Amino acid sequence: MRGAKNLIAQTHKRKRNIKQKTAWKKQCSVSRNHIFASRKPEADILHELEKEKVGDDSAEGFSLKASAPSNSHGVQPLGNLYFSPSSHNSRNSGLGNLRSLTDELVLEILGLLGGTHLGVLSTVSKSLYVFCNHEPLWRNIVLETCKGGFLFYETWKSTYVSAIRPSFEILNSGLNVRDFYSDYLFQSWLCANLEMKPEWLERDNIVRAKGISVEEFVSRFEEPNKPVLLEGCLENWAALDKWDRNYLIELCGNVQFSVGPVEMKLEEYFRYSDLAKEERPLYLFDPRFARKVPNLGLDYEVPVYFSEDLFSVLGDERPDYRWIIIGPAGSGSSFHIDPNSTSAWNAVIKGSKKWILFPPDVVPPGVHPSPDGVEVACPVSIIEWFMNFYNETRSWKKKPIECVCKAGEVIFVPNGWWHLVINLEDSIAITQNFVSRRNLLNVLDFLKKPNACMIVSGTRDRVNLYEKFKKAIEASFPGIVDDLLSKAEDKKIQKKKLSFWESVTDSNAGAFKFSF
Amino acid sequence: MIVLNSSDGATFEVEESVAVQSQTIKHMIEDNCADTSIPLPNVNGVTLARVLEYIKKHAEAKDDEEGLKSFDAEFVKVDQASLFEIILAANYLDIKGLLDLTCQTVADQIKDLTVEEVRAIFNIMNDFTPEEEAKLRNDHAWAFE
Repeated sequence: MRGAKNLIAQTHKRKRNIKQKTAWKKQCSVSRNHIFASRKPEADILHELEKEKVGDDSAEGFSLKASAPSNSHGVQPLGNLYFSPSSHNSRNSGLGNLRSLTDELVLEILGLLGGTHLGVLSTVSKSLYVFCNHEPLWRNIVLETCKGGFLFYETWKSTYVSAIRPSFEILNSGLNVRDFYSDYLFQSWLCANLEMKPEWLERDNIVRAKGISVEEFVSRFEEPNKPVLLEGCLENWAALDKWDRNYLIELCGNVQFSVGPVEMKLEEYFRYSDLAKEERPLYLFDPRFARKVPNLGLDYEVPVYFSEDLFSVLGDERPDYRWIIIGPAGSGSSFHIDPNSTSAWNAVIKGSKKWILFPPDVVPPGVHPSPDGVEVACPVSIIEWFMNFYNETRSWKKKPIECVCKAGEVIFVPNGWWHLVINLEDSIAITQNFVSRRNLLNVLDFLKKPNACMIVSGTRDRVNLYEKFKKAIEASFPGIVDDLLSKAEDKKIQKKKLSFWESVTDSNAGAFKFSF
Repeated sequence: MIVLNSSDGATFEVEESVAVQSQTIKHMIEDNCADTSIPLPNVNGVTLARVLEYIKKHAEAKDDEEGLKSFDAEFVKVDQASLFEIILAANYLDIKGLLDLTCQTVADQIKDLTVEEVRAIFNIMNDFTPEEEAKLRNDHAWAFE
């Protein structure tokens, strides 16, 4: 890929609001935020050009996936235009009057067209050929027209063509276009083909615990609302031994699972995840997996630390609470806070996940929640976040908690914590959200909020969830809410007392020290 | 009242309640950058006038769906260059309704054109070699059926 290793780009700060509900665990859709890597000094650029001549793959900058396809058609970043002897950008000559529009605007217009229109436009000029081959356009078309599943064929475009014209012979030999410079399209290709840099995986500062008692878990982690990585508590999970690709295909290869906006057969999903090279791979995230395939539900059990599950009082009316998660390297969830103020645990059965967590009061860099908490704007892809924001956190005092969670390990995500997850390889996991006595009051407060209809998630009955839950809780655990409220009051009073005494005694000199 | 300055020095006054249909202007007001006037170096006077026409109409006739529909249909009957200027302005000013309307207009224009017609209407150079063009037509035969 010509020029790929020369990461010359200008610092463009054009933020586009990408809407994502705080309560939504799944992927963001479409649009992008482009904040590019900063410009490299001339010397570095020349140095990289030299390296490229020799075919040096260890160029500083970023490493590309070994399988990086060449259907990038030769798109180069805009900065490379400075090195072209002719300064001709075929992007412009091939767009004609449309050249005055930005790349995103051209794509926005193309995004309103159907597959056959894009096919025709591909033959108009080299520029339109490149634009019309922008994979996200075809992905949207396929996802909109093939709601019940599709057979993936190397690219979204060929997937579409084979769906509408099954007998058409698709030749994936694309046209290589020279002299096409576009930051937007280059960045898109880059993000789809980057590997995770080793330095992004180095920091692992989470507390780990093995074989602790439930009481210890509650007092050390759940009460103070701190994350922890638990080892050795999945020993009796049949899933750990049984769940591999072959077993799952045999068991439920033909069952439809939720994958982003569509439902797909598990077999079809695996085919897609093996072939696709995307910035944001589709993620299989199904909240009804145990109902669809009861055997899956039998192959695991909730770790003992999380056995208190108060939403269960709602029976079938409870919000979505458990998901099977399957995805390839690069798939994951960008920064969000889990719905309904619940806490969560996430157990990796196969593969491994990189986690980054920020406490509730620290908004991650590059993330912009709206004041009412309904929407969160963040960079489109996880890789882009790592490229542009991860390093910022290195200089912060309040560093995020990070770790790599491997097969057999479970991470506890306390309620309200921001978190981002990326699969480092093909992964299978189970995650559940829960309410225990420790966060019951938070959850009730959250559900009570006036904008409940917008922020409550996982259920159709958003407005009434508060009433229903309160009633059901009182029925099963009479007096529990009042009990918790008075305990919380006591704590508040104690805290006040403590600070009063601390202000009147010379606590630094170690004189009086009361403990309650 | 909010005062807006176009790139070529023209000045426009508009009610704040109308102006905030532009998210860009709305944020500037919220961030206290709108005390005297708001400079809009990316939009010329003619285009800004048209954009204001749109947002004024959409503010006053908010509930008149039929009326707005016919207004919108007439609004986009402008020459290509002006339409693109409005698209760029709507994008810069972040006015979703106007951006959607104008992009859809262009899309509708393209939809059923032949390759030659597209080249003509947008003044696009055919930069393929005859071999390249033949190959592409072949690869995309499915779109021409």
